[in-house]
Amino acid sequence: MSAALRRASIVPVCAALLLTACTAPPKVHSRSFLAFGTLVEVTVAGVEAEQAEAAIAAVEREFQYMHRSWHPWEAGALARVNELLATGEWFSVAPSVRPMIVEAGRLAEASGQRFNPAIGALVKLWGFHQDERPAGPPPAAEAIAELVAAQPRMSDLELDGIRLRSRNPAVVLDFGGFAKGYGIDRTVELLRRLGVENAIVNTGGDLRAIGSRGDRPWRIGVRDPRGEGVLASLETEGDTSVFTSGDYERYFDHDGERYHHILDPATGQPARGLVSVTVLAADGATADAAATALFVAGPESWPRVARDLGLARVMVVGADGSVHLTPGMARQVQIEDSTRAVMVEPLP
Amino acid sequence: MTRADRMLLAVAAALVMVLYGVLWQPGPGREAHILSAAGKPLQLDLDQARTVTIPGRLGPSVVEIDHGRARFVASPCTGKLCIRAGWQQRAGAVAACLPNGVSLSIGGGDRRFDAINF
Repeated sequence: MSAALRRASIVPVCAALLLTACTAPPKVHSRSFLAFGTLVEVTVAGVEAEQAEAAIAAVEREFQYMHRSWHPWEAGALARVNELLATGEWFSVAPSVRPMIVEAGRLAEASGQRFNPAIGALVKLWGFHQDERPAGPPPAAEAIAELVAAQPRMSDLELDGIRLRSRNPAVVLDFGGFAKGYGIDRTVELLRRLGVENAIVNTGGDLRAIGSRGDRPWRIGVRDPRGEGVLASLETEGDTSVFTSGDYERYFDHDGERYHHILDPATGQPARGLVSVTVLAADGATADAAATALFVAGPESWPRVARDLGLARVMVVGADGSVHLTPGMARQVQIEDSTRAVMVEPLP
Repeated sequence: MTRADRMLLAVAAALVMVLYGVLWQPGPGREAHILSAAGKPLQLDLDQARTVTIPGRLGPSVVEIDHGRARFVASPCTGKLCIRAGWQQRAGAVAACLPNGVSLSIGGGDRRFDAINF
């Protein structure tokens, strides 16, 4: 071995020794439970097992509480709010619901009403308010047209302190495209209050990651919407929420046609043109509402709506399987399927 | 550094890359974790072929384990999305019947990802 090679070998040997000194695996604790109508997985790093389990148990209780409060069709705070909105009279809104109304209203406005949680009556008409829709045809076109013509919007609501009323009796709140993200944000705040700074809260595939997994960032895979494998992967950078809306999540088939659950408030029909939209944002509420809004916006309008919502990291899978990335997403994500056509599209 | 030294370094570097590709793939899982809203959680060895019946909100869901993988084979739900999800074998993979409140996830092996978004 020459002197140069000996010198060159010093660097990897030192690196190996350093790695040896750092091989204590990070403490990572994970538990899954059924809540919020889905499978929730909470992963916690950097704390002892006892503290982690106590924190995860607190998150589970919080999800159960939120489910009771925010379910639009089961007895609870939001169901009561919907009953009172229908009267058109002023009433005192439940404290667990008021901040959601404010935040959802802001996002509905910014998305140009593509995200619109005031269309609960339409969701119910289609049968997507149930865990499982009974088999049968889609609703009658006249019934859909009637609800669309009523134009229920969050801006129909008047808030005065804790008092609330609706100027439009067609408003029925259903936070289906928002509650997961908003709820995840609440549980992340709870984890931090309990001394947990490194965690992932994953509710049925939509998630928020904070901190890191000890010696490395959290690694997230984005499932292929039309296959079993992983379409893309990314490493989180600080607070990262990863939310995907797709036509494969909830749907029914009738007479050879598929009807999925993401409804376009402007037509009352399932939004067409895209297979899935994945959004990265710091907070879950924004990512959740934005994924819905961009899916509804469709192949032509999603870049403009993404700009209006202040998003930088978006991945869209088109009906032809092509993958479209904003420049910000292209920097953070790695496409695992090398056969896919991938396009980077700057926002307008 | 001689030409032989450089070749040796190149071969070593190539070997590291090959080993990374071969050894750092997500490993198959070792256990099936089953949660039910109507029963106790189960942890089953994926190497022991069997069929288990899980009580759920609507009725029994049936999970089959065979050759290191697991899947739903029967469910009282109407959509049957859980059955259509097919075999699950990679650590971190999840299939669930939400109407029946039963979930199946694979754990135990090395996980390439800390979470899967879908």
